[in-house]
Amino acid sequence: MSAALSQEALRALADGWIKSGRKVIGPVEAQPGRIVFKPLGSGAALYLGAWAPTVNSIKEAVLPRHEKLYSYRIHKDGIQLMDEPEAAGETIVIAAHPCQAAALPVLDKVFNWDLADEFYNRRRAALSVVTLACSSYDDHCFCTSVGLGPASEKGSDAMLYETGGEFVARTFTAKGRALFGDAAEEAPPQHDGPPVRFRAARAREFARKEFDSPFWREHSLACLGCGVCAYVCPACHCFDIVDERRGDEGFRARNWDACQFPMFTLHASGHNPRQRQGDRQRQRIYHKFGVYPEKFGEILCTGCGACARNCPAGLGVLPMVTEIPDAEPLQA
Amino acid sequence: MSRANGFEPKILAYVCNWCTYLGADLAGTARLEYPPNVRILRLPCTGRIDANLVVKAFEMGADAVLVSGCHPGDCHYTAGNYHARRRWMFFRALLETIGFDPRRLHFTWISAAEGKKFQQVITEITEQARALGPYRPYEAKPCVERPRPLATPPPAEDFAAAGQELRQTAARLLNEGTVKVVIGHGERGPVFVTRAEDAGNLVWNANCLSNLAVYLKRKEVRELGTPAVVVKGCDERALLMLEKESQLEREGVHVIGMACGGMGRAKCAACDTPRPRFADETIGGERAPRDGDRYAALEPILAMSAEERLSYWTAQFDRCVKCYACRQACPMCYCERCLADKNRPQAIATSAHRMGNFAWHISRAMHLAGRCVGCDECARACPAGIDLRLLNLAVARVAEREFGYRAGMDRDAEPPVGAFAAADKEDFIG
Repeated sequence: MSAALSQEALRALADGWIKSGRKVIGPVEAQPGRIVFKPLGSGAALYLGAWAPTVNSIKEAVLPRHEKLYSYRIHKDGIQLMDEPEAAGETIVIAAHPCQAAALPVLDKVFNWDLADEFYNRRRAALSVVTLACSSYDDHCFCTSVGLGPASEKGSDAMLYETGGEFVARTFTAKGRALFGDAAEEAPPQHDGPPVRFRAARAREFARKEFDSPFWREHSLACLGCGVCAYVCPACHCFDIVDERRGDEGFRARNWDACQFPMFTLHASGHNPRQRQGDRQRQRIYHKFGVYPEKFGEILCTGCGACARNCPAGLGVLPMVTEIPDAEPLQA
Repeated sequence: MSRANGFEPKILAYVCNWCTYLGADLAGTARLEYPPNVRILRLPCTGRIDANLVVKAFEMGADAVLVSGCHPGDCHYTAGNYHARRRWMFFRALLETIGFDPRRLHFTWISAAEGKKFQQVITEITEQARALGPYRPYEAKPCVERPRPLATPPPAEDFAAAGQELRQTAARLLNEGTVKVVIGHGERGPVFVTRAEDAGNLVWNANCLSNLAVYLKRKEVRELGTPAVVVKGCDERALLMLEKESQLEREGVHVIGMACGGMGRAKCAACDTPRPRFADETIGGERAPRDGDRYAALEPILAMSAEERLSYWTAQFDRCVKCYACRQACPMCYCERCLADKNRPQAIATSAHRMGNFAWHISRAMHLAGRCVGCDECARACPAGIDLRLLNLAVARVAEREFGYRAGMDRDAEPPVGAFAAADKEDFIG
């Protein structure tokens, strides 16, 4: 399939995948100008209009906001544990921007570090990701500042490139070839992407050396302490484990959690090592640019800009990091 | 017929310890038979019955819920039943807006002497629930959502001159030492200006949507010293409420009011406070109030059938990710520890599953009954695009229609929740 695909052909392809029983997740225009990833009922729902960022991320395909781990029943003779039925089968993400896919190899590391997370791995193995190279960007985008770009192949099984209203597909993995067959060899010329807006190394250095700097508190005053940034982020992956019980039955589940909640680090004793919102904002930056790279060799941020785009108070990674005083200012 | 199918409704009765429980007891000792479908849960007083308990009952599979207490004037705690009756007015309107079946919700007064009435009520409720069939509100099919129209763009407004005056005012206040920090709007979001030379960071434009009153309660902000806060007429209503609820010393805050011709939000179409009324100084001249119907947005919802409404809200709440941006952006959500964050017992499931999401949004709307100032920050903050203002409007409408009360409008008006009148409506009480 080396010929370019028209929009109709691409939608028909998605329809075929849906008909074959696979779950297909793609961008949908839920409200005017509001593009969200959703499971598609048909290829017709797929948003293929002008470049637009999505509100949520594709991480929900591998780390749902609420996932049952197992259920239990208490008998008079003991407790019976029951595995949850296998998670949804084969899933295909289509037309996600490359910054979404790029988060998956980063997440793979933390979910297979000291323990192989079977729930994550099961969903991950069943997931194929077809990205759509970016043809534009907005003021919040900064993929080029974290070593990625508008056509980064990282995490993609296949990538679509839009040229003159048609889509050329390239494949990078066996999963991608299974979807597109023998696709085009060469990528069409690509967009340059957003300018480099900050140096990631500087963010890391500052977070480490200036851990106690008043900078963090001063720049976090507007933070409301909600979880929007973490929940729309393709790379944030913290979760909480909860039990829900009704009578003698119940289940254990993991739910998304966010470092901006005061409860996130609250100890049973009442002590909270991250007392202020500034401490929590610092944590978010330091984890993404310091802790994670040191441990796993990857920045825990793909520059999608969703945090700042959706923050009700105008904060986010880019607004915070670009405020960091830079020893060597970037050339304008 | 239902009996033949094996369906036996489950009725949960929340009854007060002093009247209805004794009424039930009397029914028992008098050997009055009533259906065994009812499960009685005794509480000290109907005044103690939180809306969340009723929601919980439906979560646990109740087909109908009864709340029953002492007749007016008989409350063991003087007025608990009056409070319950008042709260019930808001709760019913909220549940109806969401699409819960009102035929599943019952409220009665049964005294300790009314064993016979207890028998009758339980028999009737059981028969009705049996006829209605099993209740599965959490299994509603989410509706197919139609895109909503975008908000109208704001009218041309002379932001520039007012912005200039705002920056001068801020610089003056900081220079004079009247305040230590000016909480205002910046290019990207809220800014906290502590030095006169940084007053240039303040802007005034159509993106100044945040209700900055929310920051007055934050520890980090309070530590900066006496604040000045920039408010629009709508934001100012939150200041009034915070003061009313003893959360704010009005003298300790310098209020800079901004006359506003509308920011293009849905709420702006019916704004009757375009100019702050109690600010220490107000920038910008008179603006004409608008007389749109404040509750117009509710009409399409209320025109739906109960099933359609439930299906609409199911689609909305299914998108909720429990990020709590609605709560955090709300100037009236100032609890040190929210009910949703308490886990002994877990009143509201923390999971972002359907039941947890319904429970959360119902509880939040109830906690804002008679308190929500309609700033719509919850809806603006929501990353899932849930139109939360509709819930608040449903509750606010009861306050206005039944009690002539609008939160944050009149400093001295008695709030409708937490108060009662002996003559309160009780056409919904059996």
